[in-house]
Formats: sequence, C-alpha cells, structure tokens
Amino acid sequence: MKLGKRWLPAHLLVWTYAVLLVVPLYYFLASAFKSNDEIFAHPFAPPASLGFGNFRTAFESADLGLAVVNSALVTVFSLALTLLLAIPAAFALARSTGRLAGAVEKVFSLGFLIPTFAALFPTFLLAAATGLFHTRIFMVLFLPATALPLSVVILVQFMRTIPPEMEEAARLDGASTFAVLRHVYTPMCLPGIATVLLLNFLTFWNEYLYSLVIIGPDPAQRTVQVALPTLKSITGTDYGVLTAGTVLTLVPVWVVYTLLQKRMQQALVSGAVKM
Amino acid sequence: MRSSLTRRELLAAGSGLAAAAALPALSGCSSLASADSDPDTLVVHTQLGTTAPGSPTYLAAVDRFREENPGVKVKNLINGDDLAQVYETSRLARKEADVVMVNLYDKTLAWTDVGATVDVKPYLDDWGLRGRVLPTALADWTDDQGRVRAFPYFATNWPVAYNRALLDRAGVGEIPTTGDQLIAAARRLRAKGIAPVTVGGNDWTGQKLLAQIIQTFLSQEEARHVYSTGDFSGRGARRGIEYFTHLRDAGVFADKAQGLTSDSMTTQFNTEEAAVQSAMSSALAKVPEHVARHTEVGGWPLADGAAHDGPTVIRAYTLIGFWISPNGVRKIGHVEKFLRFMYREDVVARFVTESGRDMALRTDAVSTGFPLVGAAQRLGSEVSQVLLPDVYVPPAAAQPLITATSTSFTRGTSPARVRAALESAYRSA
Repeated sequence: MKLGKRWLPAHLLVWTYAVLLVVPLYYFLASAFKSNDEIFAHPFAPPASLGFGNFRTAFESADLGLAVVNSALVTVFSLALTLLLAIPAAFALARSTGRLAGAVEKVFSLGFLIPTFAALFPTFLLAAATGLFHTRIFMVLFLPATALPLSVVILVQFMRTIPPEMEEAARLDGASTFAVLRHVYTPMCLPGIATVLLLNFLTFWNEYLYSLVIIGPDPAQRTVQVALPTLKSITGTDYGVLTAGTVLTLVPVWVVYTLLQKRMQQALVSGAVKM
Repeated sequence: MRSSLTRRELLAAGSGLAAAAALPALSGCSSLASADSDPDTLVVHTQLGTTAPGSPTYLAAVDRFREENPGVKVKNLINGDDLAQVYETSRLARKEADVVMVNLYDKTLAWTDVGATVDVKPYLDDWGLRGRVLPTALADWTDDQGRVRAFPYFATNWPVAYNRALLDRAGVGEIPTTGDQLIAAARRLRAKGIAPVTVGGNDWTGQKLLAQIIQTFLSQEEARHVYSTGDFSGRGARRGIEYFTHLRDAGVFADKAQGLTSDSMTTQFNTEEAAVQSAMSSALAKVPEHVARHTEVGGWPLADGAAHDGPTVIRAYTLIGFWISPNGVRKIGHVEKFLRFMYREDVVARFVTESGRDMALRTDAVSTGFPLVGAAQRLGSEVSQVLLPDVYVPPAAAQPLITATSTSFTRGTSPARVRAALESAYRSA
C-alpha cells in the first residue's frame, strides 16, 4: 500500500512519541550495567560490558528476593480483598435504582477527595491502636480501603451496560441473586475486573509511604519499595546498583501488565469506562 | 458417580486454606522483634548495611559479635536517608529499635530533648568507655544540659582535594592558599577546559562549603553564634559572604554549580573533569587509585584579614553514633555487650583499615589502603579548623538552608541576597 503525503505528519508524530518513550527506557536499562563514573560522564553511551555485577550487588545487599515476596504477598491479598468487596458492592449499586443507591454511590466517589498524606497520621494511629503496627496484615486491610472508590465506580459502569434481560433469563432458570452475580455479571465484566486488577496492582506494588511507616524497615517484612531506597546513600549513591535494583523490581510489573493489558485495552476501547 | 466435592468447591477450599496459612505470616507478629517482644534479640536500626561506606565492615563485625555472644541475637533494621522519620514513627508506637546508628543532624538533634532516645552519659561512665572517646567528639555529642546524646563512633575529615596533574597541565605551580591564587588557578584551568572547584551547590556538600567559606572571617565562637541564631548581620559573617560571592563570580566554581549534587561533584572529580573538590573522607576513600595517585589534600584558601592562620578544613565528630532508645534501656545488658564490642580496639581498627572511615574513638590504626583518607588525617598545623554547623543549626532550618545554598551558588546573586536567603531559612523555621 502506498502512503500519501498526508500520512507523513502522523508518522513523524508517532515516531517522535516512540523515541520519547524509548530514550529514557534505554538510559534506564543502560545505566543498570554501568558504574557511577560512566553514568555521569557518558550518560547515553552503551555500557562497556553486560555483566550482572550491579544486579547481584543490588539483589544481595538490599535483600530484594525477600522484599519481592513480601510485596507479592501484600499485593495479592490486597487485590483479592478489593475484588471481594468491590464486585458485590458494584453489583448492588448497578442494579439499584433508588435514591439511597445513588447516595451510596456518591459516598464511594467521595473517597477520591481524601488526599493520601491527610490520611497518614490517622492511619498510623489506627495501626498502633489495633496492635497491627509493623505488620503486613494492616496494609492488606488498608490498601483495599483506598482502592474501593475507583474500583466500585469502574465496575458499576461496566455492570450497568449488561442488559437486564440477561438477569431475567437467569432468574427464569431459577438462579439466585448470588448465582446471577457469579454466572452472569462477573463473566461479562471480566474486562472491567482486569482493569481494576491492573490499576490496583500498579498502585499496591508501587506504594511506598504507608509501607515505609506502617510495615517498617524490618528486612523480614519490608516491601520492595521500602528495600530499594536502602541502596541510596547520602554520602554517595552507586546509581548503577540502584538502577539495577529498580529494574529487578519492575519485572513483576512488566509480567502483570503483559498478562492483563489486552483485557484492559479491550475495556478502554469498548468505552465501558465512563468516569 | 458424582464426586462429593466439585472442582470449583475444591478450588474454593484450597484458596481458603492458603489464605488461612498465609495470614499469620502476613501478620508478622514475631518478625519485628521490638524490645518487649523478644528479650534476647537486640534490634539495631542502622544506616549501614547496604551500600553506605563501612557497611561490609559493619555486617562482618555484627557476625563476629554473634559468634562471640551466642545468647544474643542481633537484628538489623536498615534505612537510608529516611531512617529518622521511620524511627520517630516507630517510637510513637513504642515499637522502636533498641539501638539506633545515625548522624547527629537535622531531626536527630531533638531526640534527647523529646525523650525519643536517652542520655547515655551514665552508661558511658559505668561501662568505662569514656576514655575510648576523643574529647572533642564527646564535647560535640554533649548538649547544653550536659547530656551525651549517643556513643560517638564515626568522624570525618573534610579537606579540599587538589588534582595535582590537572593543576600542572593548566600551569598552576602551587596549591592555592589564598583567594587570589585560587581565582588565578581557576582562570588557567578554565582556559584548558577543566572545571575548577566542583561542588554540589544543590545539596549538603554545597551547604558545608558555603559555611566553610563564610567562616573565613569568624572565630569558632562567632561561627557557633551565627549558626545557632541565623544572624548573619555581623561584620565577620558579612565579609565571609562577600568573599564567597567574589570567588563565585570570578568563576572559581564549576559551571551551573547551583544545580549540582554530591554525586555529580564526586563524579566530576573522579573522572578528572574538575580539579578541586571539598570532600569528606568517605568520598576521598572512593577516589579511583589513578586519580588519588596525583591528588593532594589541603585546606580552603584564605582571604586577606582572615580569622585563621592557614587554609581551612572541617573536622566533624558527629557522624554515625550509637543512640539508645527507651526500649533499649529495658535490654541494657545486651546493649552494653554490643557497645563494648563495637568500641573494642580491633573492631574500631577494622573500620579504619577496611573501609577508610575516620573514627571518633582513639585508635592507632591507619588507613593505608586509602591514601587520601590517611593524608587528611595527617593534616596538622598547616591547616586551620572551622566547625561543622550541623550541630548548631536548629532542626527545622536544616532543609531550608539547603535551598538557600542553591540560591547562593547562582551566579550574580548579590551578597545581600545571599544573606537574606540564609536568614530567611531560619525565619521560616
């Protein structure tokens, strides 16, 4: 197919955009194989060697293996709890037409108005009062609470697109309310659930401040986002090691995004996310 | 025949069991051993342990302690720059570590006052460790009420490193000892495309160098007053600021110094892009061997009418010390064993010889493997000592002062504006 001149600006823009994305990624990956002197003296030069010394140092000195396991535990359990609460809540709100349901939906939306920093001190006090300070379980309970507003709002919009006739047909076959949720709404909302999973996975995995304060610095419990900054030192940071450590912590994010991105794109293209 | 348990039910049951098994692990009840949870575990909250200078030696020393004291377990909690914040929140929840290893700077200055850590003076005497500490270090760690905030451990020399080979290439015969000589050297270096003095004008390294230059016309007593009160209106402080702006506008500092950080500073020096840096011993220990071979250490050049006899250096004794928390008091027997061990001559010597650290304790060990650190230790009467302002700057003014530093290193900023920026850092605090 021959492309006319009118395609040229679009191509230029696309390639410029691609370069804008690739250059920092290249800089980031190349730095992981360099020493400080190489990073600062020749930032964009290819690394002199592709040895994994920086990765080994980062992995061992910051105990990143255990930190990844801790992050995975906190993230997976938080995601499970989020879905466990958000799906039934969205189901109920999507099917209800009364004023009360509208008010409850607005209450969920109000959660967006709470700034993260504002909640830090009360959350800390709550953790201390419940005896769950310096435990991961508090984060597993807390993170879904922060994620519910967005999750419920997204899922409600998805569920409203499901025709009521589907539920009526299921009812005629003798389905209970739970069966309707499980066999009709949930399968039809899988793109929405994937969207919620992906967005919340990124948020939970990358969460730093609360994990630092609530879970704390104990290597046995700390998450990867808390472990990583220990590679930074006020009296001289080895940026090669720090970048290598960051690359290691991004691998799970890359895997999950690869697995879920098709579903999420499907959801976004279908126009079902109406915020 | 239909199975009594369907596949889905089996999966649900499996998930339930997995959750039940994992939840206790998540709660981590036994994982964080605070003082009252495990009396045989000493919890040490430290900045050493990953890539900070001295970390491998510290970890090796802790392993040795464990071997010698099988009844005491040691758990390291490691944080970087955010240690103070994490310790403070832990203390609020009464779950703080028993011993904290951190500098006397910024937030930690208030710890003894607010009861976040205890006065260690009685322990220092009871355990007979006072004699091990350098008297100057002990004075620096003692507050105005006579309390010793922590057991001193690390110190630092903060000389000026001159790359002799680059100076020679630019035709600079002697290491500059006066401001005029420094300006002349800077011109020659710039003519050869070499940056003169590199400095992190956007962080603590710039703040320290600025303080060092301002002290050119101040006695130690006057400097203490200036940095305690933030009153830069005295004649000596004003002349110091003018001296700084004179050097800056004459091109003594590397281009765009106001945006550089400590990392860019050490890299410029280590890659021989810059000829001079003001560096503490942990940075000197990292200078590559081929650069260190032709590097000399000295002091910061003086101006006419200076209050000092020779070029100035900073010597500080308030780097990482051992603080004892209220939880630590409950396990004071273990803390005593640990501190007696860390104060032992052979352990102290390891930090000097293996990591090139300067110590706040008496030791005969010499950093032979770190020639610049050793050279800085040997600087005697040819240099004059100025004080590190960290201990005197009110905690709330520490960060605003860093911001004011960046303003100060911006070319063209008048002495009056530099002074206003410094004083407003104190006012905002």
